[in-house]
Amino acid sequence: MTSLVNQQPHSEAIGYSFSQSTHAPNKQHSFYPYTDNGGSTLGITGADFAILAGDTRSVAGYNINSRYAPKVFKIGGDDETGEGAHILLSVVGFAADGHALKERLDAVVKMYKYQHGKPMSVRACAQRLSTILYQKRFFPYYVHAILAGLDEEGTGALYSYDPVGSYEREQCRAAGSAASLIMPFLDNQVNFKNQYIPGSGEGHALEPKKAGPLPRSTVEQLVRDAFTSAVERHIEVGDGLQMMVITANGIEEIYTPLKQD
Amino acid sequence: MDKLIAQYTRSSHQNEFYSEQEQHDLTESHPPLSLKFSLPPIDDSRAFLRAMTDDHSNPSCPIKLAHGTTTLAFRFQGGIIVATDSRATAGNWIASQTVKKVIPVSRLSRGEDKPTDAPTPGLLGTMAGGAADCQYWLRYLSQQCTLHEIRHKRRITVAAASKILANLTYGYKGYGLSMGTMLAGMTPQEGPALYYIDSDGTRLPGNLFCVGSGQTFAYGVLDANYRYDLSEEEALELGRRSILAAMHRDAYSGGFINLYHVKEEGWVHHGFNDMNPIFWKTKLEKGEFSNVTSEL
Amino acid sequence: MSSPFDINGGACVAMVGKDCVAIACDLRLGMQALTVSNNFPKLFNFGPSTFLGLTGLATDVSTVSDLFRYKVNMYRLREERNIAPQTLANLVSSSLYEKRFGPFFVSPVVAGVNYTTGKPFICGFDSIGCIDFAKDFIVSGTASEQLFGTCEGLWEPDMSPDDLFETISQALLSAVDRDALSGWGAQVYIIEKDKVTKRLLKGRQD
Repeated sequence: MTSLVNQQPHSEAIGYSFSQSTHAPNKQHSFYPYTDNGGSTLGITGADFAILAGDTRSVAGYNINSRYAPKVFKIGGDDETGEGAHILLSVVGFAADGHALKERLDAVVKMYKYQHGKPMSVRACAQRLSTILYQKRFFPYYVHAILAGLDEEGTGALYSYDPVGSYEREQCRAAGSAASLIMPFLDNQVNFKNQYIPGSGEGHALEPKKAGPLPRSTVEQLVRDAFTSAVERHIEVGDGLQMMVITANGIEEIYTPLKQD
Repeated sequence: MDKLIAQYTRSSHQNEFYSEQEQHDLTESHPPLSLKFSLPPIDDSRAFLRAMTDDHSNPSCPIKLAHGTTTLAFRFQGGIIVATDSRATAGNWIASQTVKKVIPVSRLSRGEDKPTDAPTPGLLGTMAGGAADCQYWLRYLSQQCTLHEIRHKRRITVAAASKILANLTYGYKGYGLSMGTMLAGMTPQEGPALYYIDSDGTRLPGNLFCVGSGQTFAYGVLDANYRYDLSEEEALELGRRSILAAMHRDAYSGGFINLYHVKEEGWVHHGFNDMNPIFWKTKLEKGEFSNVTSEL
Repeated sequence: MSSPFDINGGACVAMVGKDCVAIACDLRLGMQALTVSNNFPKLFNFGPSTFLGLTGLATDVSTVSDLFRYKVNMYRLREERNIAPQTLANLVSSSLYEKRFGPFFVSPVVAGVNYTTGKPFICGFDSIGCIDFAKDFIVSGTASEQLFGTCEGLWEPDMSPDDLFETISQALLSAVDRDALSGWGAQVYIIEKDKVTKRLLKGRQD
């Protein structure tokens, strides 16, 4: 239904989110420095943790480049092991830009630590990332970034960005090609949008269900559900699910396979 | 010819490591809100940017930026009311329903509201158009205002602040910035002052402005009921009602109603409230919005 | 110029449960950003337990629904019986293909319970009549991507009519709340073998 049905049947291009890059180069603008490497990321926060997850497929057009290309990175830790990191960054979009962005933020966070003798707060890091993205306002990083960590009070913090650095702190956010599939599901299951308390009234008097921080096990299950659903209906998402959970005890990485078709 | 030479004499390893400027940026403890932006390595960077990010002229552009808004601000005897919706859209996709489109531009507040009822001194800026452009340049303006305060030992006037922003947007005219912003503030010199600044370089003082895709709907309600001698309660209600009308009829506006009141001592936040309960309350109690059926 | 499918906005979804089906749509009719009507149902009844949902260009939604009212009435007169959902599906398919090179800009959905076998049936179409048979759910309209996400996440096999109503309502409301061009209230039909329940949902009005 997605690709075939909703397109005008007589239009030449097949309905596909990055037809521009896979087909003959754009006739009007020969300079096309971006590729959409697909995939999706998702972050949810709780009372004392934050989860950042991403699938591990990397695509170019209809081809799969890699079945294990991580999209979630530890920031400010050891280069090899990632030990000592206290911030997570996920990038989805053009993988090369994403990688460059991650390297740059990592360098900034490390320099901050050397100069100030203390780790950079997530709030400061979030603002810095915004500035980094905006420095390329006229030649943007083709990425949707999500930053996660624990704030000064120890509660989970999640910041989402557009490609040129507008940002906002949120409870949950999905980014990437399957964001439109995952996000409404999250609205419903995390923020309890459109859910009412049964028996709290009749008709207009019904009271909406209040959203609060969810326990970690629930959130992990929601992340898995969201991705298994996305895999069913989006061809750019699949292969593996990489979940990073940040708590006061550090960062835990969980990998679960997804469908490879 | 110069271009040709430049093109072929560039060393291929030029960009392999961080440039001196970049190294400096990395090691500098305070990142500058600098005016140095990297440009694509082609002649017409504006055309490139338009091709990549302007979904109006090129609906299949790869980088969709957040757009769509209703914001309004008006002067009245008790100060200035600033009200906005909270929706960000990328095409038809609603990217967020919780955007804070009123940005404090002042020395102490850094974009996030402090949980206090006391008025916070400073200006307020509103955000319409590109979210990143507004956030970044209002922050830059904030920095300039703070410097002004340090240099001159008194708060900047709204006229001066708006001029800084307007000069900036005029300088970047044609580069593809997209912002329609209102600056509201109250200073001893000016009293309540309201300016509209946009990315074309326009700068207008005025009593009443609505900006964004839902501006016409908001103007409809606001013009009909606006008087300069509104009471504070009436003014807040009018701001809320105008935004509500725009959220209802404009597909690209919605979410939460963000209300601010700028007074002599500073601005006061009057809530970030979901429009849906307010809408149904307005409908069921006052009988407005009779176009919507309420029998379930 | 935007695609004719996206001018007026609207969304439709159908789901299968245990011995029942549900079909739901939003109520918006817009002209791009401007909402013109909050009461434009996109579901049409073609028999005691057979429904057709139409999203896309509003003028074609009206035309196509009238066209099928005519065709189904003619069928009923000729055959002296109601049309089965399967038959309607094939009628829709062949009728749309007649306009192969100048199609109606609609994405239809058929949902119903077959009155002889009692089996639930749903299917969807592209604008030129390719049938998409599904055992779980069918989505169409400007919020189709969002609906795919919510339905895939919330749907489970063999739901009772009450559960099915809750599921389809949550799926539709959450999906249209992430689409600028649909929403403004919704309608749901729960179709069982000998009973049809119609419900109006209170949705966000932005």
